[in-house]
Amino acid sequence: MAEAQAAETKFEIFEAYNRILRDDEMSPPLAAILSLTELIANSQAGTMFELVKELNDGAEELKKHTANPMSLNAGCELFIAFVTLFPHESDSFAQLKTELIKQGQKYASEAISHRNKIAELMLGFIKDDSVILTHSYSRVVMRALLHAHKTKRISVYVTEARPRGLGIRTYEALTSAGIPCTVVLDSAVAYVMDKVDFVLVGSEAVVESGGLINAVGSNQMAIIAKAASKPFYALAESYKFHRLFPLSQYDLPTHNPSILSFPTISPRPSGSETSSAGVSPHNVQSNQANGSSSTPSRLVQISMTSEQIARNPEVDYTRPDLISLVFSDVGILTPEAISQYLVAMFAG
Amino acid sequence: MSPDPQTLPAGTQRFVEALVAKLRRRQVVGSREAALETVLVLRQLVSKARFSNIEQLISLIRAVGRRLVEAQPKEHSVGNTVRKILHHIREEYNTASKGTASSSTKPVYSISTFVLQGQPRKHNVAPKSEATLSLKENDPDDPDSFARVLKPVLMEAIQDVLDELETVYDNVSKNAKDHIHSDEIVLTIGNSKTVESFLKGAAHYRNFTVIVAETGPSYGGHSMARALSSAGISTFLVPDSSIYAIMSRVNKVIIGAHAILANGGMFAITGSLLAATAARVHSTPVVVCAGQFKLTPLWNLYHDYGALDFADPSSVLGFEEGALVEKVDVLNPYYDYVGPELVDVFITNDGDHPPSSVYRLIKETYDDDDHEL
Repeated sequence: MAEAQAAETKFEIFEAYNRILRDDEMSPPLAAILSLTELIANSQAGTMFELVKELNDGAEELKKHTANPMSLNAGCELFIAFVTLFPHESDSFAQLKTELIKQGQKYASEAISHRNKIAELMLGFIKDDSVILTHSYSRVVMRALLHAHKTKRISVYVTEARPRGLGIRTYEALTSAGIPCTVVLDSAVAYVMDKVDFVLVGSEAVVESGGLINAVGSNQMAIIAKAASKPFYALAESYKFHRLFPLSQYDLPTHNPSILSFPTISPRPSGSETSSAGVSPHNVQSNQANGSSSTPSRLVQISMTSEQIARNPEVDYTRPDLISLVFSDVGILTPEAISQYLVAMFAG
Repeated sequence: MSPDPQTLPAGTQRFVEALVAKLRRRQVVGSREAALETVLVLRQLVSKARFSNIEQLISLIRAVGRRLVEAQPKEHSVGNTVRKILHHIREEYNTASKGTASSSTKPVYSISTFVLQGQPRKHNVAPKSEATLSLKENDPDDPDSFARVLKPVLMEAIQDVLDELETVYDNVSKNAKDHIHSDEIVLTIGNSKTVESFLKGAAHYRNFTVIVAETGPSYGGHSMARALSSAGISTFLVPDSSIYAIMSRVNKVIIGAHAILANGGMFAITGSLLAATAARVHSTPVVVCAGQFKLTPLWNLYHDYGALDFADPSSVLGFEEGALVEKVDVLNPYYDYVGPELVDVFITNDGDHPPSSVYRLIKETYDDDDHEL
């Protein structure tokens, strides 16, 4: 009976999460916090222990349903740690629950303004006529660039960010705001690096080592920036601080055995029907590929198949020594500061 | 309420103007000198000022601080001292008023305060007032009562800052013998009083050799070499151009700083970047000796040119070269920006710190709202 009820709640939480996330300004960690508050509202738990267990289960459920749960995890972790450490002052448990719900909603509404604060901090580091390289699409980076555009002349290179091609979205938003912007290939990062003043990326999560988890390609960008002695700045709201200590790319929770696995050798497929359109932003090219596949002499596959893409990671981990500074709503932090910060926060 | 300078007594006003003029005319040079003068002015200000609540006092100090900083923005220690004193004053006020006001505001525990737990803890300055004072802000009958009660503690707090500045050399060189070993060869550049006392402090216990780069075009190295050799340290004076060549024989580079920035980088006398880069190539440790009053809550903004201080070009190209002067631009930057990756350790009057923890020291010593005076 209790199990059935729990299952019902679990079902709800993912629904709630998706509903909240439909708001364009909402980021996954905040949506996770808000859906956890809804879970509390629907919870039958009569003790703290039960409540925390339900929250953990709910977080687990959310994680299972999302392909890339990094930033969502950070939000859940923050809220659950908060609930555990929340001082019990209310008269009844029901009151405590309403108090927790109120706190969660209050935080989520405050946290929306964090991006403005980060944009303000970043402004001091952007000189007039700066050329900035950014990666993929990040709301906080967009906010910072648009804020800087009000007072300074900037131009932006953005990577295409395969496989999702979100760089195009950045390009469109910046161009419509009147910021000169050029999309570069992910493979052209080294080519463009000498022309840039600094690299600016957002983040999925910032981890305890001081490193960064972000859309795949950030790591190579940081390595190239380091080689060219260009500053590499990351922007991260404090709800993206995540208590995780990856030692390599393969320690990330998003890594699974199928990523980078080698396929079992089978006879070459005769055609490339699998190169379905929509996987690649180069729809035109993939159509060409499909068209040319009729002539067996040209079996050149121009775009990746969805199976090929599935063997690739969505996010990668950037080592702290490659990051110059992390800008967050709690201030400008060095990567070392992030680790001290996280320890102080969750040890408290 | 408005903190216009008119509320300053005429005597204090004169005092402030005198320091502004001296800073502007470059009669006060060097970060410690500037810091000392600033403390003296602020002490005068606090002792003479009339205020009936803490906001008035703080805005008064900030207004004077802003004037001093604007007089000479490149002397970062002026602003640092103002920030430090503001921090001390707030601290004293908070301890003194704890009994009277705090009971009404219960600390609210919210997620944003939970996040802020990660913040480095503030320095807890030992409170001067043992018992909580009976503070009455904005007393309409006796507007001076607030100032009268609080002033003695504030003066003591300011005295602490002054004492720290006066003992800074001794405290930096306290552990000098742990950093320099016998028969080592140390390279230094410029004429830093902190480095000088550090080396002399070590010389009481160890025999070592110092190579001093002459540090053109100010040639501060000459006086440094003279000071060290008269203290009985075996000293060599070399031209700046041989720093790289000599580096392979050097065990340690010890230099001073003009200002330490929040990212762990620093401004230091011209030539320091050359020495630090050469040291990096030879994997020679770079040790920086500096008092904590040099900690500046600035990130390396515009350090390429703007934050640098330019000195009189005549020492690079004098007017005797009349024919040339017309045809060339002569630059004589006084400071180099040395990035955090080139420094191994800062030896301060309060412990040794790696560049990566400078940000924490800054968070601990200054209040966040004072970064912009």
